[in-house]
Amino acid sequence: MKLRFYFVFAVFCFTAILLFAAHLRTANDRVFYQICKQKTYHNRLRQQLAGRQLRLESMINPAAVSERLGR
Amino acid sequence: MKRIRITIAMFTLLIVALGLLIWRCWYLQYSKAEHYSAVSIKQQEGFIGLKPQRGVILDCRGRVLAASNEVQTIFAEPRLLDDPKETSTALAPILDMGAHIICELINDSKNPGFAKIVIGADVNQCIAADRVYGVGVQSDWQRHYPMGGLTAHVVGFTSIDNLGLEGIELQYQKELTGSAGKNVFLADAFRRPVRLKQISGVSDGVGIILTIDATIQQFAHAELSKQVESYQAESGVAVVAEPKTGAILAMVSMPDFDPTNLNSADANDLRNRTISDQFEPGSLIKPIIVAIALDDKTVNRTEKIFCENGSYSGKGFGRIGEYRRGFADLTVREILVNSSNIGMAKIGQRMGKGKLYKGLTFFGFGKETGIDLPGEAPGLLWPPEKWTGYSVTRIPFGQEITVTAMQLVRGFCILANGGHPVRPHLVRAMVDNNGEIIPRPYFETAKQSNIGYVVSPEVAKWVVTDPMVGVVNEGTGTRAKLKKWKVFGKTGTANIAKPNERGYSERDYVASFVAGAPADDPAVIVLVSIRRPNVSLGKGYTGGAVASPVAAAILEKTLTYLEKHPL
Repeated sequence: MKLRFYFVFAVFCFTAILLFAAHLRTANDRVFYQICKQKTYHNRLRQQLAGRQLRLESMINPAAVSERLGR
Repeated sequence: MKRIRITIAMFTLLIVALGLLIWRCWYLQYSKAEHYSAVSIKQQEGFIGLKPQRGVILDCRGRVLAASNEVQTIFAEPRLLDDPKETSTALAPILDMGAHIICELINDSKNPGFAKIVIGADVNQCIAADRVYGVGVQSDWQRHYPMGGLTAHVVGFTSIDNLGLEGIELQYQKELTGSAGKNVFLADAFRRPVRLKQISGVSDGVGIILTIDATIQQFAHAELSKQVESYQAESGVAVVAEPKTGAILAMVSMPDFDPTNLNSADANDLRNRTISDQFEPGSLIKPIIVAIALDDKTVNRTEKIFCENGSYSGKGFGRIGEYRRGFADLTVREILVNSSNIGMAKIGQRMGKGKLYKGLTFFGFGKETGIDLPGEAPGLLWPPEKWTGYSVTRIPFGQEITVTAMQLVRGFCILANGGHPVRPHLVRAMVDNNGEIIPRPYFETAKQSNIGYVVSPEVAKWVVTDPMVGVVNEGTGTRAKLKKWKVFGKTGTANIAKPNERGYSERDYVASFVAGAPADDPAVIVLVSIRRPNVSLGKGYTGGAVASPVAAAILEKTLTYLEKHPL
């Protein structure tokens, strides 16, 4: 009885180690994907900021200010 | 017995099946290895094309004149759509647009592979639209010009493919473009990138810092446009320059255009008249001729020249008159202050064509200034072999020679800079992708002590501080006098030649004025030239009446601004 239990336990541990090893093997790929995702998000935020900066520039440049003062 | 036969038959079948399987394995694994390997790689690989960001263009204070921003474009592929109406109905709630409008955009597209629907869509719209069959999302760089038409002729504009077509955008197309890149990666079953395979980096365009100051540009633009409108003139130009370095602080050409709305612009308005339009300078060129004559010792400052009491004629050069009254004996100073044509004609005759031509070419007339803009005209200065007796008397008061506004600016910068040559330029520096500033070579060397001179420093200084100051204080340019600074200047009123016959029109003029201040140490030169002011308005047409108030206003505002915000 005891032997059977040890046998099952050993098989269970072995299987768990195999699964964990498989999980670790793909860790690199998962991290790479996450980095790509974050880079894209970061880039999108940067472009949104640049867009806002351009809108601000078009409001505070000398021509625009002069036009508003003239009105 | 029967059982044995069945067993043998079964085993034979099994062996045949096994043999077929082994053959199939060999065929797939060995014979077709390359083919399936390629299919597998193609299936696993994906790539992202990286378009470079076009370089930014800034003024000398860092204000944005042109920049690119990424926008998402939602497009449809008409050739894949069996029923555009169905697609339009699916897209309508996503894009918050009428389905009929979307359907029209798809049906009217000339390109069966690409029908633009929305430019500048947000992330959620892109994700939702991408799920609709036949619809895709594309990332593009869109060029923005925050200052609109203020610096349109300097900065220029780009095509829809982000290629420079005019101005700095065209002149520095290579530097501004950068180079595209491509990232190749391995993808999983859901097409998510999981491993990078190959990287060829994208290189964005370099940024360009101009010498233009947007505030001074606004001063020049506002004053010039007001005057051009007031006199119903055909066109006008204004240039503000730093005489010591040749840096152009402002450059305005009227009529102008809005680079964000090119469809409404006239083709004629797109050219930069400060460098492309050639005209006879008239009296504006007199100080330069006088400087050449003094430097050559053809004349001196104290001698008097008889100006024939207003009418001078002779064999080989016809008859020369004055614009207003006649004069008797005038010194060189008085010739300039009163703008005497006869006095200048006699100076020209004394110099002769050789010296006159040589002096003018040293001042840069008859060839491009080399300013960093496309489309510059060289002006017209005939070689001495083609000169007649008329030429040597007419060129000194600005006929029989055509110049551009930029050439005149350069000439007066040379005078104001103690006779030392300068090169007009627009680009102060470039900024690379690491943020390092790369100064332009001629900008740096211009600040150093000058090597050589076109006319001697004493002559240049005298012309600027004496007769040209006299023009403003007591001569034809009194409207340019300022309270706070000693201004030097020269008026120019040139008849425009008749288009289809000989001679000059009595109703068409180019009214010009060049000014600078302070006379003792010039910080700024301003040139204003207004073409065909409407004479019938009765408000005047001369350089003194039309152009000098504009130049004075620009000069005053610029000097006041630079006092508080030095460059």
